[in-house]
Amino acid sequence: MVLGTGCRGYQFAHVIKPDAANMVGSHKAGAEVFDPLIDEAVSKLLSAECGPSPDMPAMAADGTPLKKTICFIGVENKSAEDLGDFKDQIYQQIDARIRESNTFSAISRRMVDAALYETRLRPDSLYIPDNMRLFTAVLERQGQPMDYLMYATLTSGTTKRNNNTQRDYTLTLELVNVNTGVATSQAAEIRKGYHKSRAGAWWNYNPFASTSGE
Amino acid sequence: MHWKRLAIQLRSWPLLLCAVLCGCSTHADFLQQPRDLFYRNELSEAEKKFTSLQRKKREADVAELDLAMIELVQGRPKEAEKRLKVLRDRFDELEKQSIAAGTLSYFTDDQTRTYAGEDYEKILLRLLLALSNLMHDGGDAEAYSLQMHEKQEQLFQKAVEDISEDKRTQVNQAYRPLAVGYYLRGLLREQTMNNYDDAVRNYEAAVSLNPLCEPLRWDLERAKHGVYCSPGHGVLYVFAMVGRGPHKIEVAEYATSDALLIADRIVSAVGPMSVPPTLAPIKIPKVVIPQQSIDCLGVSIDGTRIGPTASMTDIATLAEQTYDAALPKIMARAVARRVVKKASIYAAKDQLAATTPLASLAMDAAGVAWEATESADTRCWGLLPREIQVLRVEVPVGRHQLQLTPVLDSRSMTKGVNENVEITAGRNTYVLCYFPDTHPIGEFLISHR
Repeated sequence: MVLGTGCRGYQFAHVIKPDAANMVGSHKAGAEVFDPLIDEAVSKLLSAECGPSPDMPAMAADGTPLKKTICFIGVENKSAEDLGDFKDQIYQQIDARIRESNTFSAISRRMVDAALYETRLRPDSLYIPDNMRLFTAVLERQGQPMDYLMYATLTSGTTKRNNNTQRDYTLTLELVNVNTGVATSQAAEIRKGYHKSRAGAWWNYNPFASTSGE
Repeated sequence: MHWKRLAIQLRSWPLLLCAVLCGCSTHADFLQQPRDLFYRNELSEAEKKFTSLQRKKREADVAELDLAMIELVQGRPKEAEKRLKVLRDRFDELEKQSIAAGTLSYFTDDQTRTYAGEDYEKILLRLLLALSNLMHDGGDAEAYSLQMHEKQEQLFQKAVEDISEDKRTQVNQAYRPLAVGYYLRGLLREQTMNNYDDAVRNYEAAVSLNPLCEPLRWDLERAKHGVYCSPGHGVLYVFAMVGRGPHKIEVAEYATSDALLIADRIVSAVGPMSVPPTLAPIKIPKVVIPQQSIDCLGVSIDGTRIGPTASMTDIATLAEQTYDAALPKIMARAVARRVVKKASIYAAKDQLAATTPLASLAMDAAGVAWEATESADTRCWGLLPREIQVLRVEVPVGRHQLQLTPVLDSRSMTKGVNENVEITAGRNTYVLCYFPDTHPIGEFLISHR
């Protein structure tokens, strides 16, 4: 009785070391899904686009290499799960990766929000050439010219098998050249299984697992 | 020898009397006067009464909930938020019943159990945290709205654990999330002008929970295809707490009491000794909803009629549904408690060898008195409104006069109350008010003021 009263309501925590693995979310995606997705998608995109572009000068007048400026609009969640506090985290992580590269620089999110506020444009309407020109003009007036618009989209596909579920998460980064209108995209995917019992993972994903929907 | 036994029995009476003297009154008894003061808008006096209730250990947390409400309507959202935060953390800690308190309640009554709030109260606590924060700072409102969703999910998962399929529908209904929580998150995300996908997702969830609310569909349509607001305009949200909310009273459950009486008479007839008869009825709490005196608030700006506030969450229905889902457990505990008490008296008789008619009668009488001191656990957040209603209106930038008029059956009941509001371009301005009937309680809260 004393022990029961003494231990009730306590919670414990510890700081996780940088090289330690993330906890795996039992009901929805978490850091274990988003961190590798971001790493892979951003790396693929930046390495595909880091070469010189015919419409952009590669060097400044003094010979220093010019960085291409990306206006990262935001993360669009089209998956089956609510992102909660992860949405802003994903934005910040992608933004940080862009800034870390030698070839690209990013416009501050506050500038982006201010431009959206001033133009009252929806982020998804910036594809329309007139809207894109207006948005670009506002940013240039604020001293923030840009070369690319970037969108991040998170999607998911769900497969159910009795009490087990597999969800495939895809993060797609789309880069739109504001000068030419040409869009390129890169995606990264992670698959995750959710099970009602510990044996579910082995039962569904062992080499001898049945391929019929039993 | 006979006198020695009687002397032993007489010495046991003080112990029985001690047990009898535990918990005769219920929370509803303490609540009546301060509630009446609150609804008469005598907030200072109500605050003093609720503060005095804080001295009673088992009433303290519930009094804190009502005090937070008083602080909010008195125009002190920061203090209300601080108090609600402490309560939120304490209720989370108290969710797990201590073994000691749970066991003791079978010898006294349910009021001995630790009160960690009804499930709907835990959700509303987070909602009011978000609203309080919106009124003065707004920086944490999104975090509170996320916490609300997390808590809803956690409570639902806990409720459906080990539940049979036939009870599932009832639990689903009682624990369905609050539409206003999704609505709040939707409007906060829409304000950023960059997260329309989040706004759509949350408005869709709110519409699915409240399909009859037409303004919600307009919000969803705007989030899907429109923009937050036009240039040169801001958005005004009127959050109205309307009507008197649910509270609990103590009622006697005669059907179960009669069944127990028959059962204990059978046991007394066939057993070697009698058990105390169930003369005192079993008392359980019952949710009571006061009669509705207004339907909604009519909103006008600068003399122009805008429209009525729309119901986002019906707290009264929620309280009734949650109570219905919990009633079997309440009844089971009540019956188990009676069995424990009768068994205790039976064991005491056996121990003291109280086999003479006089001794047996005396102990049965003590048992009946012990049972009669039970009270139902009527602790609840007594100052909640009946409904939370909202109206959104896009307003040109600048200073405007807002008028709120209580409406019943589409007729304005009074001239209403006026207040000046300042609208900022491209931003939300929030107004929070409490109309339990045709007159508001306290003052309007306006953000940015």
